[in-house]
Amino acid sequence: METVIQTLVNALMQSSFVALMAVGLVLIFGVMRVINFAHGEFYMAGAYVVFWLYAQNDLPFFAAVVAAVIVVGVIGLILEQILFKPMRENPLGGLIMSIGVLFILQVLAAVIFGVGLMKHIPPLYPGATPVFGLDGVAVPWQRLVAFGIAVLLLIAFWLFLKRTRLGWALRACAQDREAAALQGMSINKLALLAMGLGAGMAGAAGAIMAPLVRVYPYIGGPVIVTAFIVIVVGGIGSLEGAVLAAVLYTFFHTFVATYLDGSIASILGLLMMLLVLIVRPAGLLGKGEKV
Amino acid sequence: MGKKGLTRRQFTGTAAAAAGAVAASSFGAPHIARGAEKVVKVGFLGPLTGEVAGWFLPGLNGAEIWAEHVNAGGGIKIGDDNYMVEIVSYDNEYLADKSLIGAKKLVLEDGVKMVQMLGGTDAPAAVQFFTKQNMLSSTLLPSDLTPDTLYHLAPAEVHPIYNVTGVEWLAENRPELKTAAICAQDDELGWPSVATYLAAFEAAGIDVIYNKYFDPATTDFAPVVTAMLADNPDIVCLDTAYPDYVNLISEQLFLQNFDGQIISCTFDFYQNIIEKTSVEFVEGLIFQFPDFDDPAMREAHINFENPDGFFSEYNERFPDSWSAVSWEYSAIAEMWRLAAEKAGSIEPMDVLAALKEGGRGPHVFGDAAWWGSELWGIDNALVGNWPVVQIQNGKATIVEYRNIIDWWSRHGDLLKKHTEEQGG
Repeated sequence: METVIQTLVNALMQSSFVALMAVGLVLIFGVMRVINFAHGEFYMAGAYVVFWLYAQNDLPFFAAVVAAVIVVGVIGLILEQILFKPMRENPLGGLIMSIGVLFILQVLAAVIFGVGLMKHIPPLYPGATPVFGLDGVAVPWQRLVAFGIAVLLLIAFWLFLKRTRLGWALRACAQDREAAALQGMSINKLALLAMGLGAGMAGAAGAIMAPLVRVYPYIGGPVIVTAFIVIVVGGIGSLEGAVLAAVLYTFFHTFVATYLDGSIASILGLLMMLLVLIVRPAGLLGKGEKV
Repeated sequence: MGKKGLTRRQFTGTAAAAAGAVAASSFGAPHIARGAEKVVKVGFLGPLTGEVAGWFLPGLNGAEIWAEHVNAGGGIKIGDDNYMVEIVSYDNEYLADKSLIGAKKLVLEDGVKMVQMLGGTDAPAAVQFFTKQNMLSSTLLPSDLTPDTLYHLAPAEVHPIYNVTGVEWLAENRPELKTAAICAQDDELGWPSVATYLAAFEAAGIDVIYNKYFDPATTDFAPVVTAMLADNPDIVCLDTAYPDYVNLISEQLFLQNFDGQIISCTFDFYQNIIEKTSVEFVEGLIFQFPDFDDPAMREAHINFENPDGFFSEYNERFPDSWSAVSWEYSAIAEMWRLAAEKAGSIEPMDVLAALKEGGRGPHVFGDAAWWGSELWGIDNALVGNWPVVQIQNGKATIVEYRNIIDWWSRHGDLLKKHTEEQGG
């Protein structure tokens, strides 16, 4: 029983940062129509900002996380303005741009921080606390912090989308870009906002996970694969679907990894995505498209 | 959804098909010896980047110190000539195809006279090429050795057989420990090491109640550790997990409140692990690689000049990077230098003959025998004593030297059996 509860705890902690990644990716696609392959590299950049500011230069952890969100958000804004905006009507061009950005950010990280030995990022809160008074079940403090920040950011983002005019505009643009433009909304400004927010969220995910994972230039690879699976399962363009799928996928993957094997979990995760595509091509909460 | 641009359907198709996108890069730079008319080049072919870099890059650091000392002392004396040493490295990223490219570059373009490798995944094609070129090469993993690898030696480390010494010591000193759980990454480094630990635990009368490989692409080790601890093992064995994995698994063991015994082949950069866990948590942990400022490294049987000085110079120049291999490549290079001077030649076959003369050699931890035909079909591994190291008060401490061949003479059949079962 303790193993089951520990696995539930592991999955819950992991799902928060996966949701943060997926929501950012959905937002960028919804508004910009860009499959952003470089989204994993935004995550990587956030992790490196925390490494540099917190582990190397003794800035407080939370300040480093805020800095990571800002730095990666600004990277997103610059990329949108310089690279993605000119490709607005050429989605294939945007996709290729994002792949180029992926390589550029990886090489930049490799050149600036090196690729040899593991980066040491001590946790702000070492240790763990027992769950339900069970000695065999523990939740690490650092993961709890990461979970809390991720949930707060997701709630803040949800409130922003539902309660603010800018949020409404973003949702309108994601639903129908042409109709939004006809209503006088600036697609370019909304795309800029979406990219900044999406990149910032990925940066936040990397920042909060940095003390818990191995930080290296190619860390974005496995993360982006998971995020793609999640948004396909959740329904492309559906923010609620992304969060739901993040929780479902992470729980599924963590339980299979614990009771069977990590490789089997990854294979079954892909099969789960294929199954959803066959049974419900629009995803769990996605809306079907008129042909 | 707008009609222009990419549709959700198009996106879905593309995103679903795009479940694997990774990149790689390589770096390799020659390290130039000081000005000299005659130069001999020593090649280093191994992973300078990626998760295995912890077992090559620190070794290259150590070899640079060695080369500088040799050159400062006038170089290698061959007859009336003095040869300055130049180290040439190539990052093969621990990939077999890049390794072969690097092997050809080092031999055909750079003209090296000897190549040092980590061994394992990156070795087979490169070693085959070296054999055809009559090139002397070395490995830390004697599982590379076959009857056909005539010029490929394991003169410093005989991974993973020495792991038996740690298990045997543990069984004798903590007889109350009866069960063990093993995990390792699913690759050429993990398999033979698991076989060795299985044999060692069986010989010691310890039941292995969990034994699973994890995907080398694993990023979250919480599920791995939860599964390992499910049956409350007395001992958790980290096998030969890569340094980064040992770090993350150890942290997870700490976070999931494991308070039993840990044994591991390596415990690299352990100060970083202690910072993530605690001195109390790692107290008593057993592994196999000493710090060279250990008092037991000053014993008479040690064949390594000034280990204290090497350790302090290494840490001064390459802080926080002392690992299992920091001394190994320089130790091999020094053996090669002595053999070259003895042979009066830098040609690989002459040096090889000098190295193996008499069937014995000066291994770092004491004189040892060229051994291995019973296990790999060729006597190209220098095998003798190996230290058992324990973390005591936050510091790696040698608790005993044990003889590997002694264990083999008593339990060799077990190792053969488990090696075959693990696909060796």
